[in-house]
Amino acid sequence: MKILILVMLLCYSFASSSGDTTIHTNNWAVLVCTSRFWFNYRHMANTLSLYRTVKRLGIPDERIILMLADDMACNARNEYPAQVFNNENHKLNLYGDNVEVDYRGYEVTVENFLRVLTGRHENAVPRSKRLLSDEGSHILLYMTGHGGDEFLKFQDAEELQSHDLADAVKQMKEKRRFKELMIMVDTCQAATLFNQLQSPGVLAIGSSLKGENSYSHHLDSDIGVSVVDRFTYYTLAFFERLNIYDNASLSSLFRSYDPRQLMSTAYYRTDLYQPNLMEVPVTNFFGSVMETIHTDSAYKAFSSNTSKINSDMPLNQLSDQDLQNADIPNDELNTEKQKCPYTQMRADLHEKLEKLENVDTVVNLSIAVMVLVVIVSSSVI
Amino acid sequence: MVRLVISWIPFLILQSFLVAIASESIEVEEFSEALLLKPLPDRKVLAHFHFENRAPPSNSHGRHHHLFPKAISQLVEKFRVKEMELSFTQGRWNHEHWGGFDPLSSMNPKPVGVELWAVFDVPHSQVDTSWKNLTHALSGLFCASINFLESSTSYAAPTWGFGPNSEKLRYGSLPREAVCTENLTPWLKLLPCRDKDGISALMNRPSVYRGFYHSQRLRLSRVESGQEGLGSGTVLEQTLTVVLQPETISAGTDMQPSWFLSSLFGRKVVGRCVLAKSSNVYVQLEGLSGHELKKLDPEREAWKNAEFELSIKPERILPETSSFLFVYDIEKYSDSEPFDLGLTWKLPSKWASQQAPLHASRFLMGSGNERGAIAILLKATESQEKLSGRDFTDGRCTVKVNIFQIFPWYVKVYYHTLQIFVDKQQKTGNEVVKKIDVSPSTDKMSSGMMEMMLELPCEVKSVAMSIEYDKGFLHIDEYPPDANQGFDIPSALISFPDHHASLDFKEEVSKSPILSKLKEKSLVRSYTEVLLVPLTTPDFSMPYNVITITCTVFALYFGSLLNVLRRRVGEEERFLKSQGKKKGGLKQLLSRLIAKIRGRPIEAPATTNESPEARSSVFSSKLVFKIILVAGAAAAWQYFSTDK
Repeated sequence: MKILILVMLLCYSFASSSGDTTIHTNNWAVLVCTSRFWFNYRHMANTLSLYRTVKRLGIPDERIILMLADDMACNARNEYPAQVFNNENHKLNLYGDNVEVDYRGYEVTVENFLRVLTGRHENAVPRSKRLLSDEGSHILLYMTGHGGDEFLKFQDAEELQSHDLADAVKQMKEKRRFKELMIMVDTCQAATLFNQLQSPGVLAIGSSLKGENSYSHHLDSDIGVSVVDRFTYYTLAFFERLNIYDNASLSSLFRSYDPRQLMSTAYYRTDLYQPNLMEVPVTNFFGSVMETIHTDSAYKAFSSNTSKINSDMPLNQLSDQDLQNADIPNDELNTEKQKCPYTQMRADLHEKLEKLENVDTVVNLSIAVMVLVVIVSSSVI
Repeated sequence: MVRLVISWIPFLILQSFLVAIASESIEVEEFSEALLLKPLPDRKVLAHFHFENRAPPSNSHGRHHHLFPKAISQLVEKFRVKEMELSFTQGRWNHEHWGGFDPLSSMNPKPVGVELWAVFDVPHSQVDTSWKNLTHALSGLFCASINFLESSTSYAAPTWGFGPNSEKLRYGSLPREAVCTENLTPWLKLLPCRDKDGISALMNRPSVYRGFYHSQRLRLSRVESGQEGLGSGTVLEQTLTVVLQPETISAGTDMQPSWFLSSLFGRKVVGRCVLAKSSNVYVQLEGLSGHELKKLDPEREAWKNAEFELSIKPERILPETSSFLFVYDIEKYSDSEPFDLGLTWKLPSKWASQQAPLHASRFLMGSGNERGAIAILLKATESQEKLSGRDFTDGRCTVKVNIFQIFPWYVKVYYHTLQIFVDKQQKTGNEVVKKIDVSPSTDKMSSGMMEMMLELPCEVKSVAMSIEYDKGFLHIDEYPPDANQGFDIPSALISFPDHHASLDFKEEVSKSPILSKLKEKSLVRSYTEVLLVPLTTPDFSMPYNVITITCTVFALYFGSLLNVLRRRVGEEERFLKSQGKKKGGLKQLLSRLIAKIRGRPIEAPATTNESPEARSSVFSSKLVFKIILVAGAAAAWQYFSTDK
């Protein structure tokens, strides 16, 4: 038998500007739920849903870093102990028998998050808590929680700024910790979190544009709180139809988001990511699928990685014309103002300020009012 | 001669084989599983899973294990752990109803959250480093934040109050730690059959975590072989204690609930773990009137009588002083014939479990955010009279009580304020305190610890202790995200050094590890409640608010000050007057004001370009009018904007 089958990865490092090629070696996932407290049940359900999906699509537990900021499954308020559901039909227990939570509770801090990304740990930290990726790794970074303009809150006490994220990613790139990185964020104004990213090889997708909220999908009256967010719900709806052998492309995932259903506009930042999204299968990030290459001899594959394999990836032949960043019209949305009241308030104020064409006028007026108030108060005294 | 040698060869070979087999039988690793079920007086059922894994001493380094989990043996090797116990607990053991003086309730109840203690076999200077590394390793292994125990403010080094007397002992607990599936799964993965087969297959997560109490424990101890050159063996004992409420349909409130394994756990045992040396299920029935049972024929009626009935005939019945143990071997059960033991009560039955000499509870006193006091109350239980283990010193009957307590540094305890009341009468320290060791806390450096031995008269009814403390202030970075919930003071450990609990079987029992564990004399101990201390917590948005308000005030102040100092109103007026005469100023000004009111500032630049002169003529006379108009405009704007 001369023909040997080598299972290996063949991808180009589009990331590095020098053009050196690294092959895709493995897949990692960092899944972060940043919200504490019972009423944020849905954020944990979001994260666990993604956890289940990536595990189902082939990423093993040791390559998933799962960060959950609170304990919902065994929370005293949970009517279903040791179970977490993301749908009111309760068909799927996300907290099955085999969950490995790497960081939980008070450990989910901005510091630990950045340490995981950049790999700067204390010596004693065990391997299961480290992101041991290499220059050929594809990393999926999923974050959910409460956020705002260029920040994401951690446990209602700290904030991760877009600059922090961009710096961490930059450092990861310099340390050759990834080949391709996909950042997926489900939070209010998620798009703003990507503003500072500069590193090549990064693909970012957020659930909402600046000024928009991300809403929850539905409420489970048994559990008593909302169980899933809209963006994640429709992401899962897309993935539930897939198995590990499907070749659905990233563009088909991106196109599956309907602003009317999301009640916000999903935002994709693709300018740092070179490959054509039509040709990149979702399993590049959400699964761990290695390409199989038939070679004549055992060690030839490494030398032959200059010849690109014609893979049969893009099956969903839909044009990506409508995949323009954030150009999807935001239809008349009946957004009930229930989530992210702070951002909503700020948006309202901002809107009002916009209406006034001349800021000077406002300043003059307000100073005048103040003077008046001073006069009145002094005369009263 | 040659012939003789040849004829000897088979013998030699055989002999060497025999030797090999014999030596192997010494060195073989053993695993055994057992489940003990016990109905509790308050209509609940206790299930106690017990797994024991023994790795015998061996001299080969880096040897392979057949059954013993590699993760644990590496841990023992790397950190030189001599003895270690890790427990994950949720719920509180109800000493009154579930017992306080039997081996199960003295060994298994653990403080809520995570408790870890370890004894190391390293030089003194390295103990703290080993402890730190061990906590990190365990946190990775068991998916918990045990690594928070690494900081010197969270652990202590008890000398004699905790139990094992060693200078290389470290103890820490995390009362707030959540316990859930992710902690049980890695624990189960240490078992050779995981939760796939054998008794551990019963552990259906929702039913385990629905219980009133669950405590998952892992205990490691090294066994020195004593032989020269042979290393040490390791014994890994894993237990899970669950208190469950059987779902009952029976109407009578005084009837004990009947149950089946399948109704308790939602699963049945479909056979033993084939790697286990023994797999047994025991049912312990307590408080049966002994002489009544003695009359019964043990072969037929002990398990099936007028009061209760077990659904399966036990293999053996082991009588004990106050209880009966029914033994089942699940070897013969399989998929087609699963083991589903049930207990049916026919008559209302009542009994009380054995109590520890004193029942301990702990609470907080005082109010406000500045100071308070911790009180520990020991109350005599009814069973005190009967108990053995009294110490007759100087002709007095006394009961010894050890109290071990860790105080976090932000609870600054004043040890001189310790007050002890025995039967409501205050006693001085010398009268009752036999021994006391205190190590005060250092701010942000180390936690405080108190070890105290009381010697009380046997007829004591109640003992109350109180100790005062001041609440410390944390740095703003040190507050947890949910600081308003309060801070925990870990459980205190109350133990009775002269009292030991054990099951006393009348006949010699087999070498089942769980039975030998129950037979072993164990120290009677109980943990008190975790206390929740509210500390002064700042309003975390306050700095932001203060900055905003201060900036506004400063801007207004300096703005107006500059205006007053720099502006030369007289000169401006003169200048404007001289220019304003040239054009119709009033008209210009009015149009500008109208533009302002309409909110069309685009027009304004055009007008203001021409208006400097215009302003002059009326500046002084119309000033008040202007201000009023502007204020009116502002009010209108305010009105409209709020309306929308």
